[in-house]
Amino acid sequence: MILHPAIIALLAGSALVAFMLLYSSWYGIEVIRKWDLRSGSELQLSLEKKTYLISTMMAYAMGFQLISLFLFVYTADSLCSLFTGAMCAAGTLNVNDFGYPVFLLKLVNFLFGGLWLVLNYTDNRAYDYPMIRKKYFFLIALMPLVLAEVFLQARYFFGLEAEIITSCCGSLFSSSDRSAAPGIFALPVRLSTGIFYGWHIFVLGLGVFFYKTGKGAYFFGIASLLLFFISGWALIQFISLYIYELPTHHCPFCMLKQEYGHVGYLYYISALAGCVAGTGVGMLQRFRHIASLEAVIPGIQKRLTIVSVTCYLFFMLAATYAMVFSGFRL
Amino acid sequence: MIVLDKIRKVFNQGMPNELVAVHGAALDLGSARFIVLKGPSGSGKTTLLSIVGCMTRPTSGRIILDSREISGLPERFLTKIRRETFGFIFQQFNLIRGVTALENVMVPAYPRGEKYSLLRDRAMALLELFNISRKAASRAEWLSGGEAQRVVIARALINNPSIIIADEPTAHLDTGLSHEFMEIMGRLHQEGKMIIIASHDPIVYESGLADMLVGMRDGRIESVRDLA
Amino acid sequence: MSLMVWIEKQRNLIDFVLSSLLRRKGKNFALIAAYILIVFVLASVMFLTHALKREASIVLRGAPEIIVQKMTAGRHDLIPKTYARQIEKIAGVSSAKTRLWGYYYDPLFKANYTLIVPELFKYEEGGIAVGEGVTRAGVTAEGNIMPFFSSDGKLMNYRIREVLPADSELVSSDLVVMSEADFRGLFGIPEGLVTDLAVSVGNPQEVLTIANKIKQQYPDTRPVIRDEIIRTYDAIFDWRSGILLVIFSGALLAFIIFSWDKASGLSAEERREIGILKATGWETSDVILMKFWEGLAISLTSFLVGLLLAYIHVFFTSATLFEPVLKGWAVLYPSFRIVPFISAYQIAVLFFLTVVPYTTATIIPSWSAATVDPDLVMRT
Repeated sequence: MILHPAIIALLAGSALVAFMLLYSSWYGIEVIRKWDLRSGSELQLSLEKKTYLISTMMAYAMGFQLISLFLFVYTADSLCSLFTGAMCAAGTLNVNDFGYPVFLLKLVNFLFGGLWLVLNYTDNRAYDYPMIRKKYFFLIALMPLVLAEVFLQARYFFGLEAEIITSCCGSLFSSSDRSAAPGIFALPVRLSTGIFYGWHIFVLGLGVFFYKTGKGAYFFGIASLLLFFISGWALIQFISLYIYELPTHHCPFCMLKQEYGHVGYLYYISALAGCVAGTGVGMLQRFRHIASLEAVIPGIQKRLTIVSVTCYLFFMLAATYAMVFSGFRL
Repeated sequence: MIVLDKIRKVFNQGMPNELVAVHGAALDLGSARFIVLKGPSGSGKTTLLSIVGCMTRPTSGRIILDSREISGLPERFLTKIRRETFGFIFQQFNLIRGVTALENVMVPAYPRGEKYSLLRDRAMALLELFNISRKAASRAEWLSGGEAQRVVIARALINNPSIIIADEPTAHLDTGLSHEFMEIMGRLHQEGKMIIIASHDPIVYESGLADMLVGMRDGRIESVRDLA
Repeated sequence: MSLMVWIEKQRNLIDFVLSSLLRRKGKNFALIAAYILIVFVLASVMFLTHALKREASIVLRGAPEIIVQKMTAGRHDLIPKTYARQIEKIAGVSSAKTRLWGYYYDPLFKANYTLIVPELFKYEEGGIAVGEGVTRAGVTAEGNIMPFFSSDGKLMNYRIREVLPADSELVSSDLVVMSEADFRGLFGIPEGLVTDLAVSVGNPQEVLTIANKIKQQYPDTRPVIRDEIIRTYDAIFDWRSGILLVIFSGALLAFIIFSWDKASGLSAEERREIGILKATGWETSDVILMKFWEGLAISLTSFLVGLLLAYIHVFFTSATLFEPVLKGWAVLYPSFRIVPFISAYQIAVLFFLTVVPYTTATIIPSWSAATVDPDLVMRT
């Protein structure tokens, strides 16, 4: 265990988020069991008041989750001098088996939490709260993931022993080292650039099509979820090379550093927001035929589509900018 | 048009201090436009008024407002209806202390997201309508009873409601101000607003303005007199 | 709701929040003062440790990859010059230089100086160059004579030829630079022996291997690797600030309880006010939103003021309050100044340690304030 202020902050922050979720789930169970909008009983009135608390807590928890995702990477980065072989967050996360799972869980929990907020926002626009039970089931289902994150994060930090020899981005994300790199990273760059742009344009097209005609929401949802993974992969496989202007540096973390103008944040935030908004469009499509939501959902979907398309477009333009103005040529 | 059907309101349900404030009240306001609820204090007038004004949900029973049932709506939507439909005048002036008369008039409209300058102009126009624009910058606690009274009416009108609800509005006013208040209510009535007043003050229910007089006692509706 | 309407709504709410806060200056004063104090203390700790870490890394950046010390009976001893020539022959070593340096306690001014001999000393024997700190401690100036007592008790006088400029103060502040002959004379170190060896290595990946080879060849030496020192420094500074944080966590907890209490202890006046707002058309979520802006206004004010005070404390008054705990350098530095340095990362950590707990502590109280029944004002 390394006693570092940021580690203490992260552990405490995750504990708070978990506490807020536990608290919300607890009342979620009560809502699932006893909710009856027809009734004006005091129990029902107090449950309705509780839903405001849960919405507020979840919104804050998501905000904290986003900050903690970046703080986590940043902390890992600043700790790298303690580990032989680590030069940035990639190496520190690799010190024990828990670093990368925690990072991935933070991403996944943010995505799910964002979808929950979309669902909650939509449900609150309908006068009979038609999805109230569904959304609380969803919330309870999120619980294990959040607890896992808290637990693994604690394991990760407690398991950090200085002087462990680790490997860093140089070998972890290298395409030349076949043993460490999954097959998709070995694709020829020309092909993956094509996939990256192709899929981006495909998703943007689907978004515009959906916005104009109201058709193809599921396609757009699934395609933009996939786009999140494709963007992440492209970021590691070739966009990173242009950012760093080095032929072998594929690290997804160094770009968050000051040396590269914190440009990584733009990519991370636009991909995360684009994914939540885009996938949200697909998710809401399922509930489109509920009477009280019929008038509400199309408007929300349109706004989400605008957000998603804008974010992904921004991602693509940022990548293009990096490729065009980089001093590096593949 | 407002219809109440078997409205019941219970406080502290299932506890030793359980209190039934309204017992199965049923009332069809029909085409009445100026209603006075009359009855001694504790007769359930205020509770019934707050149920009609979408401020409290009944424990059971149905309320129909303009042919839409609103009794099962959650708070979020009730508030929206309340804000768009009703203007309230309370027994106490209930002005926010430390805040100017003008801002007190504007406060109810803040969540609607109207442009600040437009909202200010509207509030100012209302204060002018009641001849107190010169007090716009005074703090609420510096206003005299008559001035506060008129600021309160202006506040009730800021969201341009179709129905004004007043609960014992004359309880803290002297005779002269009470008559002035009823005069203003008469004017608003003529301008097409619906008025609902709960009061046991003869100045109110003998004013000759009401076209329906509802008598309440012990949480029940005792009498309904159509005066139109 | 269109975007413009949303923005106007937030503007109206913020307007109202700010005027409410000003109306209740008295109530919020204690809270903001406590908040500022907490941010100030934590920020001071972090600024100071980060700045020291940075100072240390500047010091070490110019240090050789490996320092070889001779050990005798487990103690650091003088090392023969001949070792250097042998070590230079190890493959991968680009150079092995001898170094002469030490500490001198000045009984006159009760100060410790660091004495070093550079490879090339530009002044003749009897001349020295001193750091700024030395001139401050000894009230000496360029051209003055500075007295030293040699190891056998003789008085030696050196003339100050140059006062070294302060780049990073920790480096040069207590420095006295002199010629090799003067140094040997002062401490009575025989020819052929030096303090330690500085070994530089061409390929950084071979540092560990070469250190092992040196250890094999000369079992009586201890090779110290620079990265090892940096690591130790980092760990020590992180650890120190971590420990301080644990100590202050009690205060942090007290602050959180205090803010919970402040937020939930609504006065009758405030309850009435929220009742009025709700009765006249505000919705629960509007009040929660208002409370959010209120919390943000309080947090931002306290956070910024706390940061600013900590910045002044650490970088302009040299962290007067915690110097003894954190620094642990020589007592020489009466006006030791740390080079200002803060990063977004430190701000983020501080934010997580103060604003996040404060906000969490006020969620439930502001929710319960917001769910005051609107008919409250009718019933009273």
